[in-house]
Amino acid sequence: MNAEEIMQKFIEAGYEAKLQEREAGVRKKSKKKSLWIKVDKEKIRDAIEYLIEIAEEFPHFCIISASDEGKEIMLNYHFTLGYGKFLEEFIVNLKVLLPKEDLRIKSITNLIPAAIFSEREIREMVGVEFEELADKRHLFLTKDFPDGVYPWRRDEMGVKETNKLYETWRERK
Amino acid sequence: MKYKVPIGPIHPALKEPILLKFTLEGERIIDVDVICSQNHRGIEWIGMNRNNPVQSIYLAERICGICNICHPACLVMAIEEIVGMEVPERAQYIRVIQGELERIHSHLLWAGVAAHELGFDSLLHYVWAVREKVMDILELINGNRVTKAIMMYGGVRRDIKKEHFPKIKEMLKYYKEAFSKLAKLFLEDKTIKMRTREIGILKKEDAIKLAAVGPTTRASGIKKDVRQDMPYFAYPDFEVKAITPDILTGETIGDTYDRIVVRLLEVKQSIEIIEKAIDEMPPGDILAEPKIIKLLNQIKKSEGEAVGRYEAPRGEDIHYVKLKSGFEYLYAWKVRAPTYINILSWRPMLLDMQIADIPIVAASIDPCISCTNRVIVVRDNKEEILTADDLHKLSVKKTRRLLKC
Repeated sequence: MNAEEIMQKFIEAGYEAKLQEREAGVRKKSKKKSLWIKVDKEKIRDAIEYLIEIAEEFPHFCIISASDEGKEIMLNYHFTLGYGKFLEEFIVNLKVLLPKEDLRIKSITNLIPAAIFSEREIREMVGVEFEELADKRHLFLTKDFPDGVYPWRRDEMGVKETNKLYETWRERK
Repeated sequence: MKYKVPIGPIHPALKEPILLKFTLEGERIIDVDVICSQNHRGIEWIGMNRNNPVQSIYLAERICGICNICHPACLVMAIEEIVGMEVPERAQYIRVIQGELERIHSHLLWAGVAAHELGFDSLLHYVWAVREKVMDILELINGNRVTKAIMMYGGVRRDIKKEHFPKIKEMLKYYKEAFSKLAKLFLEDKTIKMRTREIGILKKEDAIKLAAVGPTTRASGIKKDVRQDMPYFAYPDFEVKAITPDILTGETIGDTYDRIVVRLLEVKQSIEIIEKAIDEMPPGDILAEPKIIKLLNQIKKSEGEAVGRYEAPRGEDIHYVKLKSGFEYLYAWKVRAPTYINILSWRPMLLDMQIADIPIVAASIDPCISCTNRVIVVRDNKEEILTADDLHKLSVKKTRRLLKC
């Protein structure tokens, strides 16, 4: 199934989807296709189950990315489909918006086991709570990293004090 | 009787800061836990809060010393997609050549490390001596062996000139001759075979479920290669085919031996790609927009998001970038290096193996943990963490102290 067909399937199932294209190559041209699909936070597991169901092979999970959108946190679940075939791979991004008052979403590790590291990372970096996530330890930050500080946030929960190594540092007498 | 054996945070067999906690029954490994939080340099944070997008290219270059083309390439591709920038044809070819040179040196570096992990140090020295040839070429065309600062939005910063061609061709000839010797040393040696055959097996189903990438997944029989599936730069012209071990040995087991086979064959493949790229390189410009200020303004005005993907020597590298109009830095930036996802494969590979297999199996995914920024000091049974700031202060103090003497 190609990117357009997957997009059609998602639109039929009631999701909002758009396709982004970019050309590559010099003598022979090929198209890089990325599919962006909006998903409600309650429906994230349904959407991924649906993706697993309609895709020919098991979707390849890449990463979850996050961005602070003011009143909301945006999560993007990046997948690739159609790997192993010449020029046929494309990217599927599931986009979820979480209001900052309720930063909770269901963990997808029961469907995609490889997502465990990424969920642990998003949890410590932006403060999103993944329900039913088995391992809630810090991944990259140290175990004594203070609670309530999330480095990738752009609000008052973000990092306030940082070392100023790039400014001239003078030894105090 | 169960034993717990920690390997790391700094261990001679792994060289980079990562902690593996093993539960053992005698010699047999029954559980593995990976603790990554030994270092985090906050590179994404710097790109989102401190650096302008051009500075972030050089920052991305420093995510990993070996992958200094891969990370800038991902970032550059994502931003070019958002801005809608056209890249000159010659630049696309130069990017391919640079990427493949990097693959050769990275795979040879790994081959040396693998030999060392097996205790075959004469082979380590031989492979690294062979690797010097490609390092010389990198120095010749870039002026530097490691961080090359070649990527730029809309092209590359340095051309590969006609006078470089004879030296590059000589290198290709040298590697073609060295390849058969390397293949014989690695693939026919009895000891290497005993230490790697049927050791650290990653089954095809596990590789798919755990989303393994690069040579790690290809050695398990999955024909997944970004250069083949979703080519970027000038790669559609080359029709790259993903390499699986059955091409050489006729079967795919998914063990450490197969991962050696895949990497060796990829060195050969890279040589062929460079050969073709040099012969067919189109003339023309190498940069779409040479004025940096103009370029920065163009990026600052753009808005959108994109995903950049690149087949790095260790596997697929992926950057998500979001730009907001009027915002000076990258609004969001997520880097996923191949080792991030490949670490998950350690568990199925290591279970039921023996302690002595840990170094070579761990090394077989070619892990790259990157460098550290803090140190944990254990004094009187208490852990104390020194940050980069503390270390910097200590370093300055020491310099002052030495100056006084």
